[in-house]
Amino acid sequence: MKHIVKIMTLLVAISALWGGLLQISMVPRSHALLLPIYFVVCLGCYGLLMVGVGLMQFPTCPQEAVLLQQDIIEAKKYLKPRGVDVGSD
Amino acid sequence: MELADRAVGLLLSFVSLSIFTYYTFWVIILPFVDSDHFIHQHFLPQEYAILIPVFAGVVLLCLLCVFIGFVMLKSQKKKA
Repeated sequence: MKHIVKIMTLLVAISALWGGLLQISMVPRSHALLLPIYFVVCLGCYGLLMVGVGLMQFPTCPQEAVLLQQDIIEAKKYLKPRGVDVGSD
Repeated sequence: MELADRAVGLLLSFVSLSIFTYYTFWVIILPFVDSDHFIHQHFLPQEYAILIPVFAGVVLLCLLCVFIGFVMLKSQKKKA
């Protein structure tokens, strides 16, 4: 419950700040609704970009993959005679 | 496997960068350009610059609610 209260207060604070800036006319009146939407779209684009870059730079470890497969085979050989359900081969 | 991941990552970053540049151009640069420049033909009228993100946001919210409702129904059905 406290988390959503935090998020709500943050949203209210940001909109109050935006309204205040509009009043002092530091921001052009004609773009009052457009700029927050632009910032939200920017944020979404930035998140997507970070996901794409992270995907591109994700390190795969081929040697570790081979070792892991060997570990799996070993564990299956060990557990099967003891009656543990090790799934299909 | 690694190549598929990198291709998807490249596609994602390309899409995000193109959306960012198109929207920045639309919202910030186009109002300062004369109305009879040829570049205006490549961009929709300015009202759509507000409508399309708001519409996409509303659709996203609806899909999220539908998904949450679906999961709640499924968990209730499993308990009963």
